[in-house]
Amino acid sequence: MSSASTTRPNGVALFILPSALLFALFFFLPIGLMALMSALTGNPVVMPKVAFTTRHYARIVNDPYYLEVIWTTIRIGLVTTLVALAIGYPLAHWMARIKSRTGHALLLMAVLAPMLTGIVVRTFAWMTLLSDKGVINQTLMSLGLIAQPLKLMYTETGIVIGLVHIYVPFMVLTLTGVIGRIDERLEQAAENLGASPLRAFLEVTLPLSLPGILAGSLLVFALAISAYVTPILLGGFQIMTLPILIYQQISANFNVGFAAALGIVLLVISLMLVIAYNRALGLVSGQRELQ
Amino acid sequence: MMKALGSSRLSRRRFLTAGASLGIGTIAAPYVARAEDPTLRITGWGGKWGEIMKAEIGPAFESEFKCKLQTDSAFPYLPKLQASSRSAPIYDVLHTNSNEQWAAAEMGLVEPKIDPKLVPNLADVYPYAVSEKIVGVSIFTSAIGLGMRTDKGYGNVTSWKELWDTKYNGVRGGYVIPVNSLGQAFLMMCGTLFGKGQTDLDAAYAALEKLKPIKIVDFTGAMEKMLLSGEVGLCVIHDSGIYRYDGQNQPIDFVAPSEGVLSLEQVLTITPGSKMKELANAYVNYMLRPEVQKRLAETVWYSPANKKVKLDAKYDAKLLTTPEKVSKLIQVDWKWYNERKDEIDQRVNRIFRA
Repeated sequence: MSSASTTRPNGVALFILPSALLFALFFFLPIGLMALMSALTGNPVVMPKVAFTTRHYARIVNDPYYLEVIWTTIRIGLVTTLVALAIGYPLAHWMARIKSRTGHALLLMAVLAPMLTGIVVRTFAWMTLLSDKGVINQTLMSLGLIAQPLKLMYTETGIVIGLVHIYVPFMVLTLTGVIGRIDERLEQAAENLGASPLRAFLEVTLPLSLPGILAGSLLVFALAISAYVTPILLGGFQIMTLPILIYQQISANFNVGFAAALGIVLLVISLMLVIAYNRALGLVSGQRELQ
Repeated sequence: MMKALGSSRLSRRRFLTAGASLGIGTIAAPYVARAEDPTLRITGWGGKWGEIMKAEIGPAFESEFKCKLQTDSAFPYLPKLQASSRSAPIYDVLHTNSNEQWAAAEMGLVEPKIDPKLVPNLADVYPYAVSEKIVGVSIFTSAIGLGMRTDKGYGNVTSWKELWDTKYNGVRGGYVIPVNSLGQAFLMMCGTLFGKGQTDLDAAYAALEKLKPIKIVDFTGAMEKMLLSGEVGLCVIHDSGIYRYDGQNQPIDFVAPSEGVLSLEQVLTITPGSKMKELANAYVNYMLRPEVQKRLAETVWYSPANKKVKLDAKYDAKLLTTPEKVSKLIQVDWKWYNERKDEIDQRVNRIFRA
């Protein structure tokens, strides 16, 4: 009886098995293959002679153009994250502290509503607003405020506007949960001890909400640097980011190896960010084991 | 008796079983019925081309050759063909533009030539359709020239060089050269216009620098929308991208520049590993039939490759349907271009970055 119980598979393990298999099949295997392809001279499945090479990575490092593309991608990601945080934090704070259930439901609906529409549709909507013949420029010109259309599209600013609109809900939803768990009595205690509402917020609420800020920022940054549709439509191909370059290498240059190397670079940037996030979270929350 | 009656009663289990069987049967019926038919896997465009292929041209081929056509219209095709096995390729017939066909041929993904013995209609095509600058056979061509708004008072445009006129700053349209055939062909034209010929890349790069500011798009469909909305006033485009709005009272027109129009060929090739070679050749031959060419040409405004096609007057007046008109086509040396594509892409990406 006892031997039977020792050989019986753990129930939890069996429960996890499907998702573990799914994760291995659709995450580790593709990434492993991508890493392999980035270090080969060709596709071993269809080419008879392939060898290991570092030429794809050397091309990235040796040509300043690719380093500029990487920096543009990171810059767009950082600006998008900061703007999403600036817009999302007050909204999340309001949602977390609002007493009215109806008010909370309405705010939640307002945040979630844009997510019910596809990214492509939302980006096209921004195009109709930001283009030279778009609503904003036509309105300003008809009012006589400008003579020539403002360059709102085909710029990094245009891309950031589109990305912020798409990713603000991710920031708000992440922050709302964290801020909602902060005991309001801590702020009240700070104010009773003479702190102004602003100081109570800066010294109590803000530090306690840092895990939410970091988690939301990580999510928005990762999504922004891997975005394809919005940068390509609002940037008009004049702002080159890593996902656009990867697609170009696969679809038009048929250079799978180089595209894989660029993909690995994008992955490494994301991983470095996760590691930095864990360290920062460990430091602010005092949980050293997180590191 | 009672038992028999009881056993025939409709229980919930029986109802669900019958329902599930009926559902599976309904879903599977078309596949079971067609299981015997050979399947020819091809690529093809969406839009008007896809509509008429699905509604008329495809079914007529399926009916005549007792087969099934399976069309992939999700561009890009070549990476998918590249990823599939050489001995069991994802497509039997590849339909795409000439630059990609050359890349496919270089990688050994398609057969470089079509056998005239297996495709008799090849004897009736214009020389450009099977020239040394073509892999496979070009079944149609478009003329790449300039598209313009006629309601902006731009005057009479006759030359490619007018695209560089500063009055078009802010309303000039071009393409993402690394991913677009028209953009690549236009780059070669820049070498001819401002340098020693198509292969004068330095002259072409210098000309492209002077073309800024320019609005660039990846597909001709996007350029059509920009021209229709007035976002663009003068742009590089193929004739069918303008003529397809014929009769819709749109203020746009196509200009065939005096220096000549570039050829945008619709090319068919057969994959070496195809198990449906006979059917693939039959399909290529079918697509070159005069009646098929006429129907497609008059739907999508492509110039037919078959010399024997007689189009209605409206189409005949605008499309390239005579040896004289066809002789104005300038074909690009895609083999030469593809060998330098990485270098060209790096340079033009730098030129057009914001």
